Amino acid sequence: MGFLHLFIVNKSGGLILHRPLGQSAPRIGTNEWLRIGSTFHSLHAIAAEASPVKLPGNKNSAGADDGIEEIRGGGLILKCLQTRTGVKFVITAEPGTSDLDAVLREIYVLYSDCALKDPFYELEMPIRCELFTNAIDNLIEKVESGGFKTR
Amino acid sequence: MTVHAFHIFDRKGKTLFTKRYSSIVKNQPVQDAELLSEQRKLIFGMLFSLRELVGSLTPEGESPALHSVRTGAGTLHCYETISGLRMALYTNNNPNMGSNARNLDTSKTSFQNALKHIYSELWVDCVVRSPLYRPGDIQVDGNGNDVGRFDIRSTNFEKKLDAYLASMPWFR
Repeated sequence: MGFLHLFIVNKSGGLILHRPLGQSAPRIGTNEWLRIGSTFHSLHAIAAEASPVKLPGNKNSAGADDGIEEIRGGGLILKCLQTRTGVKFVITAEPGTSDLDAVLREIYVLYSDCALKDPFYELEMPIRCELFTNAIDNLIEKVESGGFKTR
Repeated sequence: MTVHAFHIFDRKGKTLFTKRYSSIVKNQPVQDAELLSEQRKLIFGMLFSLRELVGSLTPEGESPALHSVRTGAGTLHCYETISGLRMALYTNNNPNMGSNARNLDTSKTSFQNALKHIYSELWVDCVVRSPLYRPGDIQVDGNGNDVGRFDIRSTNFEKKLDAYLASMPWFR
């Protein structure tokens, strides 16, 4: 089970959180993260445009805009959850890691519980909330030790 | 599992071969040549940038490569050779590998193997080894017709490709 990174992109493509989730995660500088965040944001939309078939209204089954859901590469799996508000939760992991979808949804729940309900948090701004980051770390620990039951 | 389209690009982004399979023509209005050519450039640019992205996110010790990209509408499988030739295959999202669909990992690798086979057995054998072929000669215009000195239709690449894809358990 090797989780690598988590990053969250707001609806305009700006990065609002990036966090390494394991030891094998490559070290990436802040500027590079910003670049990765905005590149992913654009490619997410382009992938839906470039496809020879498109979903009706370009919306997927969750009501959010269609785009990249998963990327598989040599040595890497990347999964993205796009919400209706345009926020993208992206997690990368080593191949063979299971339950990535469930973990992503759980992180979305943690985001709405910790970041959105924080009275000082401004929407679309970088998240500086210890409660949120601690909850993410606890979640990853729980999943890696096998104690996580999907809802 | 249906195959929607197949494209081959060279290092510089030029389309060397493109084919749309008829399963989608029924649902989509006929698009003109300009639009298709733009769409192919978009695909090439996307493959290029995605590979850079995957490269920066992959942990040390693993060689970065892009195998597949999945969206709600379909999956794009790609294979890149050392010479920079990129093959892109668009399919839909439901793997139908016979009665048991538990082997998700093998279904992914079989696309890589299939694309590798298309390159090494079909492309190299039919096109590269054709006595009329010179690298850089192939050019494809919007309708998928060849312009330029070498015509892919003078080889049996397309026929062999169709036969190969039809023999795959996931092609319909």
